[in-house]
Amino acid sequence: MWQAFCDEFYLCFLKPAGDGSLRGEYLLRGLGVTLEVALFAILLGLVIGFLVAVIRSSHNKYGYFSFLNAVSKVYLTIIRGTPMVVQLLITYYIILKSVDSKVLIAILAFGINSGAYQAEILRAGIESIDPGQMEAGRALGLSYWRAMLKIILPQAVRNVLPALGNEFIVLMKDTSIVGYIALIDLAKGGDIIRSQTYSVYLPYLTVAAVYLMLVMTFTWLLGKLERHLRNTGADPVHNDS
Amino acid sequence: MSETLLKIENLKKSFGKLEVLKGLSTEIRKGEVVVMIGPSGGGKSTFLRCMNLLEQPTEGSIIFDGIDIVSADDKTKNRVRSEMGMVFQHFNLFPHLTILDNITLAPKLVRGASAAEAERKAMELLRLVGLEDKAKAYPQQLSGGQKQRVAIVRSLAMEPKVMLFDEPTSALDPEMVGEVLDVMKDLAKHGMTMVVVTHEMRFARDVATRVLFLEGGRIAAEGTPAEIFDGRHDGRLGEFLGKVRVGTEFRDKVKSELFDILKDREVSEDELARLKDLLAGNNPEK
Repeated sequence: MWQAFCDEFYLCFLKPAGDGSLRGEYLLRGLGVTLEVALFAILLGLVIGFLVAVIRSSHNKYGYFSFLNAVSKVYLTIIRGTPMVVQLLITYYIILKSVDSKVLIAILAFGINSGAYQAEILRAGIESIDPGQMEAGRALGLSYWRAMLKIILPQAVRNVLPALGNEFIVLMKDTSIVGYIALIDLAKGGDIIRSQTYSVYLPYLTVAAVYLMLVMTFTWLLGKLERHLRNTGADPVHNDS
Repeated sequence: MSETLLKIENLKKSFGKLEVLKGLSTEIRKGEVVVMIGPSGGGKSTFLRCMNLLEQPTEGSIIFDGIDIVSADDKTKNRVRSEMGMVFQHFNLFPHLTILDNITLAPKLVRGASAAEAERKAMELLRLVGLEDKAKAYPQQLSGGQKQRVAIVRSLAMEPKVMLFDEPTSALDPEMVGEVLDVMKDLAKHGMTMVVVTHEMRFARDVATRVLFLEGGRIAAEGTPAEIFDGRHDGRLGEFLGKVRVGTEFRDKVKSELFDILKDREVSEDELARLKDLLAGNNPEK
């Protein structure tokens, strides 16, 4: 039993593959790709999310940015109305046909996708803030954007941090479909090992365990951040300050 | 007669089809304490919020510093707002910032003050209202009266030319009204120009230099506190003052009766809050 496990472990991870590197390196390199795509997609999504959220909530509350609001709505409808895999394939085969870097293509596709979801989460956060906060900022002479940046957004982000964290986790796991454009990430790395060794248990279970550890680490960090924000400021539920 | 700070002419404001202000004209002169009274829905708060353009008037003009701010560009409006302080009914302190940061935010961002300079000034002002030990606290750790005093300080830190107060004591527990009114009286004594919307008739009588009675979107009566409160009035003003008087007497009577009844009984937190609401004149069903 133990010997069988060791043999399989050797076969899957330590035996040199065709190019001389160890099979396990598929997973290591794949993990790097997964982290790279997820991290930059989250950041791109945040930038898009903030912009769209501010545009949408400003339009809802004050009637600003009519044109940009219409563009944002089209963006949200299309992105949220089509599957991620299809968006990835369209980006790769049609929109960015001439771009060589598959990592870049994945980052753009996932970032643009995640931006739509983050925008709606952040919009809910912005709209949950008492209008008196914006009024107090404006009454002190701050411009609309400054008040948004310094007063509204910090509170909005704190209120929606759990939902935002959830979106980051979903995004991180969703990157496992980049195999569709033949980009070798963690999941695809495991799949390659399976295809070379015909061994299914160890490659897939290891891949699952690594994803699980990534998500658990991230959840832990997020919890720390939430506690930190809660300790330095008001209970977000009570806006009557 | 001292210099005119705000000259308001034929100011109108509509929300959709509802016309809330139907053409108001008045002048606010330097050093004046103008108190606006009147029934709810009469346009007091809207009028006040139009003065610093938190509400954009539909028609009319407001001359401040020699320019009509109603039709000014956004940049000018921001500058004008920075020169007018405003205190809100619900304080509107920034819950994610410490008291000190609440006060120094605008001087640093809008005026470009250095952190050290802004903090020195903030501490000085906090000392004046007796809250210097709360500088590092967050708004949620303060009582309502303390929050409102901080809100006043936050406005004062911008060295405004005029202070606008929008029912500053209406959201406070009765026992905290006094400490806020005291700060406002102090300000008035030091020559701050103030426009105050309030239901505190005692304050209006003691501190105001002029009282405006707003009713139905118009200035229905105007005069010194003596003229308004001691004169005989027919029509709406007489009716309003009568109601206020009866209301206050009635509330005081209910209060003392209640205290008698509840003296020896245990009252739950919820019941106590409800009673306080009722006594403060708020309708808990609302």
